[in-house]
Amino acid sequence: MFKMILKIALLSLFRRLSRTVSVVLMISVSLWGLLFMEGLYEGMMEQMINNAIRSDCGEISVFAKGYRLEMDIKNLITDPDGVEGFLKSDPRIRSYVKRLEHQGLAATAHYSRGVAFYAIDSKAEQQQGRLHEYIEAGDFTFGTKGKGVIIGAELAKKLKVKIGRKIIISAQATDDEIASMALKVTGIIRTNNMGLDDGAVFLDLATFSDLLQVSGGVSRFAFFVQDPELIEGVQESMQARFPDLEVFRWDQLYPALMQSRVMMKWFNLVTAFLVFSAAAIGIIGVMLVSVLERIREFGIMTAIGTEFRQVAGVVLVESLLIGLAGYLVGSLLGGFTLWHFKEKGLDLTMFSEAFNAFGMDAITYAIIRPDYFITPFAAILIAAILSALLPLRILYKANPIKAIGEI
Amino acid sequence: MKHYLLTILCLLFIFVDHCPAEEMDIDTLMQQVEEALNGKTAQMNLTMRVKTSRLERTIKMESYSVGKDKSFIKITYPRKDTGVTFLKIDNAMWQYVPRIERVIKIPASMMLQSWMGSDFTNDDLVRESSIADDYHCKLIEKGDEYLVELIPKEDAPVVWGKLLMWISKEHLIPTKVRYFDEENQPVRVLFYNEFKKFGDKMYPSKWVMENETIEKKGNQTIMEITEAVFDQPVADHYFTKRALKQFSQ
Amino acid sequence: MIPWKLVLKNIRGYRKRSVVTVVLSAITTALLVFSSAIMDGSHNTMIKNAVEIYPGYMQITHRDFRDTPGYENLIFDLDSLRRSLANIPDIAAYGARFETYVLYSTEARSVGGMLTGIEPRAEKQLSRMASSLYEGEYLDDEDGAVVYIGFELAKRLKVGIGDELAFIGNGADYSMAADVVTVKGTFRTGLFDFDASAAFMNKRYLDEVMVSRNMATHVIVLPANVEDCGKIEDRINQEVGGDNVAESWFRTMASLVQAMKLDSVFGYITLGIIFIVIFFVIMIYTLLTVYARVREVGVMRAIGTTPWGIFVMLVSESVLLSLVGVLLGGLLGACVAYYFYLNPMEFAGYEEQFKQYNMVATAIPADFAPLVIARDMLIMFVLCVCSTLYPILRLNRYRPMDAIRHV
Repeated sequence: MFKMILKIALLSLFRRLSRTVSVVLMISVSLWGLLFMEGLYEGMMEQMINNAIRSDCGEISVFAKGYRLEMDIKNLITDPDGVEGFLKSDPRIRSYVKRLEHQGLAATAHYSRGVAFYAIDSKAEQQQGRLHEYIEAGDFTFGTKGKGVIIGAELAKKLKVKIGRKIIISAQATDDEIASMALKVTGIIRTNNMGLDDGAVFLDLATFSDLLQVSGGVSRFAFFVQDPELIEGVQESMQARFPDLEVFRWDQLYPALMQSRVMMKWFNLVTAFLVFSAAAIGIIGVMLVSVLERIREFGIMTAIGTEFRQVAGVVLVESLLIGLAGYLVGSLLGGFTLWHFKEKGLDLTMFSEAFNAFGMDAITYAIIRPDYFITPFAAILIAAILSALLPLRILYKANPIKAIGEI
Repeated sequence: MKHYLLTILCLLFIFVDHCPAEEMDIDTLMQQVEEALNGKTAQMNLTMRVKTSRLERTIKMESYSVGKDKSFIKITYPRKDTGVTFLKIDNAMWQYVPRIERVIKIPASMMLQSWMGSDFTNDDLVRESSIADDYHCKLIEKGDEYLVELIPKEDAPVVWGKLLMWISKEHLIPTKVRYFDEENQPVRVLFYNEFKKFGDKMYPSKWVMENETIEKKGNQTIMEITEAVFDQPVADHYFTKRALKQFSQ
Repeated sequence: MIPWKLVLKNIRGYRKRSVVTVVLSAITTALLVFSSAIMDGSHNTMIKNAVEIYPGYMQITHRDFRDTPGYENLIFDLDSLRRSLANIPDIAAYGARFETYVLYSTEARSVGGMLTGIEPRAEKQLSRMASSLYEGEYLDDEDGAVVYIGFELAKRLKVGIGDELAFIGNGADYSMAADVVTVKGTFRTGLFDFDASAAFMNKRYLDEVMVSRNMATHVIVLPANVEDCGKIEDRINQEVGGDNVAESWFRTMASLVQAMKLDSVFGYITLGIIFIVIFFVIMIYTLLTVYARVREVGVMRAIGTTPWGIFVMLVSESVLLSLVGVLLGGLLGACVAYYFYLNPMEFAGYEEQFKQYNMVATAIPADFAPLVIARDMLIMFVLCVCSTLYPILRLNRYRPMDAIRHV
């Protein structure tokens, strides 16, 4: 029986080929558009967030109390070893880094500039973060004696230094005296985070803390957890364990990013809704007319004894076939496009100035996720079924004899 | 024969006495140069002229210093800047501005800014890196003057790539110092001219710093020492923060 | 030549189709008009905010000042520049500024920041400094040793209205410039970095301290008509030329302009995808309705109407319907845009996002530009007519006898 229904449905679809194709095309184009936008925008979003998290704050950052308001070198984390022990022992924590941050001066024979110092452990940072991926020249290392620096690309330009050149750094130590030392440029980095590229100097943690006379001093711990779901839980347990430290999640340090992410999700939802409304309209329109056109046919079928159930089946199957075809074509197109941009990235370097100003990369990589395809499938299914309902109602109400008499 | 040798030896000794530097090694030479330049103590009246393409400014000051570690400067001209005092102890620097009646400690970020608009930076006045501590010295030429090449030591916190110093054989004081960046481009040159006698000491009374970079070519700062007394004891009370305000008048 | 009577009769006759077509095109036109208005409105607002808060629409500086800011590259003859500007028509206002960096000092702390001498009354028209007043009072042209300081800077220095504050810097002749001033008022622009490092004084008074009489770092110009920035820029450069140069905001704020362009691109891409969908919807609908008239067309052909005649008739119907729809939709969209032009949309809850990107969160009005609206309507009109072309062309392919027999 089903085979017959299927045959009839297919036949009637093919009879009005251009009409069928139009609807299928409409659904697939809108699905393709939706997938493209979703994947691209989400890709952009995640990149932005990752840039911030991986090069700066991790998923959770820990400071001494009040440090964020007054970044004073005299207000460092009081028990860094204790914190480190906790981070090592808790299985929820995937990786961590410790940093010492301070302001001061970087100078060459020609220029001097105020800079922000980030004293880090290069090996740990390589494991956890993405900083090393942004190296433009040189290496992500401070040399064998820890006497190297990695500076932001724009800063390097202003100071007119290259790899191997000397930089004199000065900063106020804890004894209020100004301490200076000579270091060699071992790497130049471009993170697309303007603040860093313009004014950051990365150097070896031990070297810097000795210079400032705070051996072993740490101003921030930044770490990642095994799963983003765990972030809040870990934050709570850590804050409880170390009440005189401040523990922040990344979205508390960069609330703008979280807001952008939320806004993007909303935007996708609205677009998806619009697209599917249009799809539904298209299917309803077609199905309605298609059924009304063949009311004579259906009338005859009923008259010779076909049950309404089976007639309804034809209509339903037609509707589903259209929807399914649209979904398949659209998913293939969209999936392929997304895959292409996932691998190759969308090159928008002509807008690079704008991107850099907002901390984004000019080449955006799309994201593909299973639920991009699952939601549309469900939606189209529902749209197809619902679209069949009105015509079915009309059929149900119709009187077979009158129907046959229709033209 | 023996007499002949003896005469020659005596002559040699005489020569040695008159030209001691001939036999001295470079490090001792440089040590003497530094001592001669700084003196154990110094009290000076100076006039500084700053010339840029746009204007020319004259400042007069009194300066008191003990070695390189402590110095006190008071501006005496022009009227607008009279009473401004500077105190340097080791690496730190303070200044007092009578117009606002405050003592300000100069932060790291301002250390490399020009001092009073001249071609000298705050850092030049404060740090005056020690030749012995920070540089390897190599004697290059021994013509009319010594030409010494100074290469910064590996860890020395000096921005220069190298220095070339011409030293007067007679006075063991530099006559010219040229500062190079790491690409071997000259950045600035300092002339020590017009040697005069101050008390017992022969000392350059005119220091001229010229900027050799493309951007600031032609800029000059000229320091003239109008009076100087060397190696007399200088009262300790000059080198306190109280002194900044006290001696402003 | 166009059978208007027939066309009108058909439109009235197939009422349902006419109404639906008009509604579809009206809704889409309204959507396009409104979206454009919002997008343009939001961009214009962001640009306006960024430009008007402080930088100004046009800046005149020494030729080399932008690349090498400093006392060597000042405007050295302010009086003659003023005289030249007085001769140029279409300038609404202009004022001089002397920007310099100083060390601010209080009992609590010393902090480096920017100090700018402004002409308070002129500045009121040139920037939003006066309207950003937070506490106390703004400056006026007779003021002496008082300062108008950023809200965050005041916090850092721990001063309030009436408190004293000292600053040291260099005068234009490199002499030591220092003074003790009283805090007359604080401002809050919402731009965190600006509020944390800027302060203003009456230029006439500051000139004495800074020995900067007849000199300025910038002269800010406000053209009578903001759109004419380019023209006035040329005019000023002709008059003033030589050492000084005038630049409009789109040169000095290039990255912002680019960012807005980028946002537009994304906006239009999204709209484009939505319109492709609508295009198909209209096409499908037309297909359906047109096919309902196959017999009618067949009869007309049989009695001698040429295919071209059919085409003309059908296209005329489509044109008329689209016209009505687009006009209605355009009107609707324009009304909604106008409403939001007068009552801007509020953006509660997004302050953090704006703060992060150093933008100011204010209400965003829709743009009301009749020319743009007309453009949008034209686009929709062409789109609507084109979407009906395919079905009409298909229809014409039927041979008259087949058409008459069509079910």
